[in-house]
Amino acid sequence: MSTLATQQNALVAALFSWPAEAAVKNLADFADLSTPCAAHFLQGQRGLRAYQANGHALAERALLAAYPVVAQLLGPESFAALARALWHAHPPVRGDLAEWGGLLAAFLAHDEQLQDEPYLADTASLEWALHLCAGAADQAPQPSSLRLLTQHDPAEIQLQLAPACQVLLSGWPIVSIVNAHLMATPELDLAGQKLRLRVAETALVWRQLQQPRCREAVPGEGDLVTALLAGATLGQALTGAPALDVAAWLPMAVKSGLLLGVTRQISQ
Amino acid sequence: MARTFGIGWRHPHYRELLERRPALDFLEVHSENFFADGGAALSVLLRGRAHYPVSLHGVGLSLGAAMGVDAWHLDKLARLVERVEPVRVSDHASFARACITPASASTGANASSLPVHAADLLPIPFNRAALDVLCANVQVVQERLKRPILVENLSAYLRWKPSSGDAWLGEVQFLTLLARRTGCQLLVDVNNLYVNALNDQPAIAHADTAAWAACAVAACTGWLNAIPPAYVGELHVAGHCRVADEHGGIAIDDHGSPVCADVWRLHAMASRRFKGVPTLVEWDTDVPELDILLAEVQTARINTRRPDALLQSVTRP
Repeated sequence: MSTLATQQNALVAALFSWPAEAAVKNLADFADLSTPCAAHFLQGQRGLRAYQANGHALAERALLAAYPVVAQLLGPESFAALARALWHAHPPVRGDLAEWGGLLAAFLAHDEQLQDEPYLADTASLEWALHLCAGAADQAPQPSSLRLLTQHDPAEIQLQLAPACQVLLSGWPIVSIVNAHLMATPELDLAGQKLRLRVAETALVWRQLQQPRCREAVPGEGDLVTALLAGATLGQALTGAPALDVAAWLPMAVKSGLLLGVTRQISQ
Repeated sequence: MARTFGIGWRHPHYRELLERRPALDFLEVHSENFFADGGAALSVLLRGRAHYPVSLHGVGLSLGAAMGVDAWHLDKLARLVERVEPVRVSDHASFARACITPASASTGANASSLPVHAADLLPIPFNRAALDVLCANVQVVQERLKRPILVENLSAYLRWKPSSGDAWLGEVQFLTLLARRTGCQLLVDVNNLYVNALNDQPAIAHADTAAWAACAVAACTGWLNAIPPAYVGELHVAGHCRVADEHGGIAIDDHGSPVCADVWRLHAMASRRFKGVPTLVEWDTDVPELDILLAEVQTARINTRRPDALLQSVTRP
């Protein structure tokens, strides 16, 4: 390994290590960290603290952007501490901080201090799905293609769903929790009541134009969408979702932007 | 060449700027904020692009990293460049990528070293080895983007020790060689220069704030006079803050306040020396009302027309 690589690894290790003492000692071999320098006002220890503080501020900002509901549930101080802990445990891999934070749900699930709040991990999973949904590739609706629904057998057609559509199963009322905090619907009291009763909810995530959405799936919808996302034809998906009222679902799916169009599967 | 002036276009001003369309020559955005494949942010950028030239300024390429540029990052940037057709593409003479063993990784014999990104603009040593790495990475980026990029001087809060047998260069020489070897241009951030110069002052000078600032201006003047004008492609100005601590204080390049008088004077000097070079006003934290930012741009315009007499105190400190 080159000297430059060793220097750079040492500095980044010092920034992410927690506590930092050992890594800082290692870095002192390469950078002015502790020797008072008569010629220069700035000392490295203080510079290192400035970089660490900036990293923590970035972590809090990035995590807040992706997890506004978890932030409200925990409160600002606990959330800031959580962001710093995740920053050190799972540093960013990419140079786009919007990519960082996807491991929060797993991190929360294993956090001993948060075992009394078991719904937090599933709430984080839903928020991350919404976060990914916001930046998914745009897809234009194809309304004229919907006529294929009346022209062909369901076994011959596939449904084109909205960008980053996803189904999440949870033993907690995660849709109610998230929408109560983000949309004020339902009211917080009702979401709290569902939480106390441990009402399980299946979340459906999609993007309506540029707006990420989530709602509780209607009966059978989770099975249908899961099958469609796996590449099933409409006929195959309906077979696996006997509880779905498809006549009511189709117009609702089109109107809400969940269903963008229909394609005919050409048999080989 | 006509001078151009622009602002950093940040989220609080997305809608207002599109509605008002103020007289600006270009908009600057941080490339990484638009790496998503689609969605609202990219849509807003493309709407802005319909009315203004856009400059893509990156903060995450990690051009100085010994482990090289992240292919994922470069792919994202290349795609954005194709979509936006920017007037300029720039990033920093810094690094952020390195290999570490995260706290979450197993320890002992099974500990694994992983590439991470520090999400910061970390300094590189001004030596031949770092120059070779930086040049190679800049070449990779330029070949992929099929265009020259601009590379910005850094505000740094930590200095590297020269190692034995290492050919140590000054920052000006380092950046000049970078431009000469790669064909890239230099983005001179005047506020970064000033912040570095403030923090480089001996503690004894810091006790007298005026003396501290005068020494910093003198150092910046020398820096600006040493950079060959032909290599300079853009100027940045921004605000900084001074944080007091037990050692007296540190200047932080936080882009969270108006440009200070000394930086304006240095900008006037730089504008005179680097003729026709665009100026960007950056404001990234505690972003003020759009009108305040536009007023800073107006100051920059007037500043480039300052008579020589007003620059005497800068050029002869």
